[in-house]
Amino acid sequence: MSNSFRYDVVVVGGGPAGLSAAMTCARHGLSVILLERGRFAGAKNLFGGVVYTESVLSLAPDLFSEKRLPFERPVTEEGWWLLSEDGVVKITHTEKGLYEKPPRAYTAFRARFDPWLAQKAEEAGVLVIPKVKVLDLICANGKVSGVLVDRPRDWESSELAEVRAPVTIISEGVNRLLTQKAGLIPRDFTPEEVALSVKEVIQLPKGEVEKRFGLSEDEGLAVELLGEATLGFPGSGFLYTNTTSVSLGVGLFLSDFAEKGLKPYELLENLKKHPVMARLLSGGETLEYGAHLIPEWGLEGLPRLCGEGVMVVGDAAGLVNPLFREGTNLAIYSGIMAGKAAVFAHEKGDFGHETLKLYEEAFRESYIYRDLKYFRRLKKFLRENRSLFADYPEIINRVLHLYLSAQGRAKEEVFQEIFGLFRKRRGLTGLLRDFVKTFRFFKGW
Amino acid sequence: MNILVSIKQVPDTTNIRINPETGTLVREGVPSIINPYDASALALASKLKRRYGAKITVITMGPPQAEAALKEAVEYGADRIILLSDRKFAGADTLATSYTLAETIKYLAGEAPFDLLLFGKQAIDGDTAQVGPGVARRLGVPLITYVVKVEKLDTETREIVVHRKTERGIEILKAPLPVLITCDREVGEPPFSPLSELIRAAKSKPEVFSAENPVPLERAKLGLKGSPTRVHRVFTPELKSPGERIFVSEAGVSTVVEKIITALKEKGVL
Ligand SMILES: Cc1cc2nc3c(=O)[nH]c(=O)nc-3n(C[C@H](O)[C@H](O)[C@H](O)COP(=O)(O)OP(=O)(O)OC[C@H]3O[C@@H](n4cnc5c(N)ncnc54)[C@H](O)[C@@H]3O)c2cc1C
Repeated sequence: MSNSFRYDVVVVGGGPAGLSAAMTCARHGLSVILLERGRFAGAKNLFGGVVYTESVLSLAPDLFSEKRLPFERPVTEEGWWLLSEDGVVKITHTEKGLYEKPPRAYTAFRARFDPWLAQKAEEAGVLVIPKVKVLDLICANGKVSGVLVDRPRDWESSELAEVRAPVTIISEGVNRLLTQKAGLIPRDFTPEEVALSVKEVIQLPKGEVEKRFGLSEDEGLAVELLGEATLGFPGSGFLYTNTTSVSLGVGLFLSDFAEKGLKPYELLENLKKHPVMARLLSGGETLEYGAHLIPEWGLEGLPRLCGEGVMVVGDAAGLVNPLFREGTNLAIYSGIMAGKAAVFAHEKGDFGHETLKLYEEAFRESYIYRDLKYFRRLKKFLRENRSLFADYPEIINRVLHLYLSAQGRAKEEVFQEIFGLFRKRRGLTGLLRDFVKTFRFFKGW
Repeated sequence: MNILVSIKQVPDTTNIRINPETGTLVREGVPSIINPYDASALALASKLKRRYGAKITVITMGPPQAEAALKEAVEYGADRIILLSDRKFAGADTLATSYTLAETIKYLAGEAPFDLLLFGKQAIDGDTAQVGPGVARRLGVPLITYVVKVEKLDTETREIVVHRKTERGIEILKAPLPVLITCDREVGEPPFSPLSELIRAAKSKPEVFSAENPVPLERAKLGLKGSPTRVHRVFTPELKSPGERIFVSEAGVSTVVEKIITALKEKGVL
C-alpha cells in the first residue's frame, strides 16, 4: 500500500467531461485528483468548435466577470453551405435573438478553453496533474479502487505509483481503453461507429475575417459544409470563424476512409481547393493541423455508465450528437451528473453500483438520453441515404443556377430542365422516398 | 550543497512566428515553456541533487504567468521557487536583468551561500548569452560558459570538473566552488519525475519578490529605465563552420600534409 496516493475521487482525463466532474466533486468538499496525459489540459485535444454558453455557465456562473473570455467569437450566423463541384448554396440564419446577451454559442479553441476550465477546477480545489498517463484500473472482486499510472511514486522507487480512491471517474475520451477494462463495454468500437475528422486553423491577415465573411468584430459565422466537401460521402465539413482565423475541417465515418482508400488530409486539401473556399481563404497561413475521432456509436454502443466504484462520462460514453454539434456540452453535463453521484456516494459512505446509479438515473431523465434514443437510427439513415450527400447539394446548386440565370429564355423550357434534372438524378419516386424517409427519421420513427 | 538555478519562460519556438512588419516576435496565443537550456540546467541540478543531496533554489524574473515555469521547476526537484515580478522590471535588457538577478542572489546567499549557480547558455528568444556572465561578474564568482558535462564534483575539496564546448573543441576545466556555470543542452536530460514530485509541483506557490521587497533595488537600474540596449535589427547570424579536424596522431603526417595541400589547391591558394 505504501505505493499509493489516496483521494476521495480520481478522475482520468482532463477534457471538459473530466474537468466538470472533478470540479463538481471538489466544490462539495471532496479531495479530487485529476490525471491528464497531455502537457496540459487541452494540449492533445481538438474540436470544431462551437461551445454552447449554457453548459459553460452551469459550471462557471460568473463566466461573464472574466477579464478575457476563453472563446473566440460569439456565433451570430449559422447554417449550412451546400457545395457543388464549383458552386455553393448558402442557407444561413441570423436574427436579433442571436445578438442577445449572453450569446447562445461561441467559437473556441480547445487549447485555450480546456486550460481555462482546468484553472477553474484548480480554483475549486481539484489537484490537476498533467503529464501522467493512466495505464490501468486497480480492480478487485469487480470493484474499482483506483488507477495505476506510468510514473514511479517517488525518486527512490522504481515501482509505478497507484492512485487510490473509492470513486474513479473515467473521462478518457473516444479511445475508451479503460472503460473497456472496467467491464462497462463488451468490445471496442468498429470503424463504422466513429467519424474521423481533420481540421486546420487558417490565419488570415488582420481584418480579413470580418471583410471576407461580412462580420463585425463581435459577430461570428458557424456553418456546416455538405456535398462536395465530403466528396458526396455521408459526413460533413465545417467552417467556423475565430478572432483572426478560420477553423476548417471535414469528417467521414472511419470505415468510408478505409473502404474508399481516402486519405484524411487529401479530403481537407480538396476542400481547400474548392473555388469558393480557395477565394475565402486565399493568403491564409495554416497555424495548426490535427485529426481526431468522434464517437458516433450512439445508443447501440452506449456503455453501462457506472459499475462498482467507477463511472464513465463524455466521449468515452459516446455522448455526442453530430447533427447538432453537441459534444462538449454533453461532456460537461454528464460530468456534472457523475460528480453529483460521487458526492452522494461519499455522503452515504457507499460506493457500489446501487449508489452510483444515481448518475445513470439522472442521465436517463436528461435530454441527452432522449436524443440518443430519438436519433438511434442516425448511422443507418445516413448510410442508406447517401444521395442526401451525393446528389442533393449538386441538384440544388444546379436548380438555383438555372432559375437565377433564366433571363432571355422561355421559362417553360427552364422549368422543364429543372424538373428533368430531378427526374434524372433521383426519379419522382426516388424524390418521394427520400422525402418520406427523411421525414420519418426526424420524427424519430 | 546549495544550488541556485536561474530560468526564463520563453514562447515555444515550434509555434513561433515573426511579425513581418515589425520584425518582432508574435507572442500572442503561443504557449510558453522553460527556455530549453535552462531546462537542461534544471536537469543537471536535479541529477546532482539525487547524487550528492542538495537544496535547489530556482528564480525567474517575469510576468505573473512565469509562475508556471517555476512550478514546472518543482517537478525537477526544486525546493524553493522565487518569482521576481514587478511592473518596474518590464522591458529589462541583459544589463538590467543581470543587475536584478545578481542583487537577488546576493540577498538569498545571505541566508545560505550557494555552491553552484546554474544558468542556461542563452535564451532562445533573445540569444544574447549575456545574463549568466553578467551575474557572475557582479557576484565575483568564477564563470564557465557553454558547459556540456559535469565530469566530477568533489564536495570534500569543493571542486568541480566540467567539459566546455567551444568552436575549437572541448575544454576540460577544473574550478573551485562556488562557480557559475552556463549550460548547454547535453548537460542533462529532463528526468521522468515521479508522481510525488508532480503533485508537489501542482501544489507549490512561488514566493514573489518585488522591486522593493524583500530586496530594495535601485529604481534607475531596473526595467526599461535601466536598459540602454536599442534593437537595431534582428537577423540570424551565419553559422561558423567548425572546419574539418584531423589528428596527426591518428592519420599520420603524410596524409595530413596531403590533405592540406589539396585543400589549398581547391581554394586556389596554391
Ligand atoms: C473535429 C471535431 C469537431 C468537434 N466539434 C464540436 C463542436 O463544434 N461542438 C461541440 O460541442 N463538440 C464538438 N466536438 C466534440 C467534442 O470535442 C467532444 O465531445 C468533447 O471534447 C468530449 O470531451 P471529453 O472530456 O469526454 O473527452 P476529451 O475532450 O477527448 O478528453 C479526454 C482527455 O483524456 C485524456 N486521456 C485519455 N486517456 C488517458 C489516460 N489513459 N490517462 C490520462 N489521460 C488520458 C486525453 O488526453 C484527453 O485530454 C468535436 C470533436 C471533433 C473531433
